[in-house]
Amino acid sequence: MSGRLASEWLTVRVQFVLAAFFVVAGLAKIADPPGFAHEIHNYGLVPGPLVNAMALVLPWLEVITGVALFLGIARRSAARVLGILLIVFIAALSINLWSGKPVDCGCFGVSTVQKTDADRLKEMKLVILRDIGLLLLAGQILHATRREERA
Amino acid sequence: MRSRRPFWVEAAGFLVLALLAAAVSNAVAGPERRLKWIGSYQAKAAAAPVKPTPGAAAAATPSLGAPAGAKAFPPHPDKASADISGEDVVELYSRKTVPFLDARRTSVYRDGHIAGARPFSVWEADVDDKIKAFFAEGTDQSAPIVVYCSGGNCEDSHMLAEKLYLVGFDNVLIYKDGYPDWVQRNMPVTKGSEP
Repeated sequence: MSGRLASEWLTVRVQFVLAAFFVVAGLAKIADPPGFAHEIHNYGLVPGPLVNAMALVLPWLEVITGVALFLGIARRSAARVLGILLIVFIAALSINLWSGKPVDCGCFGVSTVQKTDADRLKEMKLVILRDIGLLLLAGQILHATRREERA
Repeated sequence: MRSRRPFWVEAAGFLVLALLAAAVSNAVAGPERRLKWIGSYQAKAAAAPVKPTPGAAAAATPSLGAPAGAKAFPPHPDKASADISGEDVVELYSRKTVPFLDARRTSVYRDGHIAGARPFSVWEADVDDKIKAFFAEGTDQSAPIVVYCSGGNCEDSHMLAEKLYLVGFDNVLIYKDGYPDWVQRNMPVTKGSEP
């Protein structure tokens, strides 16, 4: 079972899926930095002076790390960085969900769909589950490439 | 591809590349997409509803363009803004002299805004320049100014009110229910970049 999970065939495909997700999400946010800054501010977790810098850099970090993972360049580090980002996203959503504050995910930039608070809270739960799934993909890459670090 | 570099070196490399890409991308972006690196956002200020005073009180605290006997909206120098209802906004709009500022994104403004309202997106890099220009126009700092966004949980109008308050405007009134309420009331709206 562990051998199949660590197979290169599977790992390459997992790399592709995880990389594609982050590249698409990053590009959507790069298209509208003020909109993403707005979403970050809504979370209420980042100090005001840092909101803009985060809105400018985070999408590019997603894209660059995603491209590196897709091309297999420093893929363990790329998978780790994306894993750390996913843990941060899950924590940010969970904190707001715990306190009952509905926020738009902002994962793919600004949502133009009109939503009720109940819709947002439901969506937050789904996004947390999705991010846990993506975190498992990052974990598969790290598991399959663990020998690379020892080499 | 095997890597002998420690994780933190490669992670720092990704971060430096991201910083450079963000700097270049932000430098070449147009005003609607550009951001200042250091944000100046403040938490939503607690805005108490303002109670308009009818009749004689209006004479004591004259409002710009207020007809005789109209409701007065006195300045509130102790706080950045005060919430007002849709009825009060309609009354202020009818005076035709009260400035209306739209705090939503410029792209949203173009899709439809209160006829005569000016775009002051609080999320775009040129908002401080717009506020300076607005101040330089010599607008009465104690006369009512109506600021709105999308109603509900929208904080953009509160953030814009804070910025206006910091330059000395002490009678910023927030249209609590925002643009959706205006549309629901079948009041005049305009599309495009011009007020």
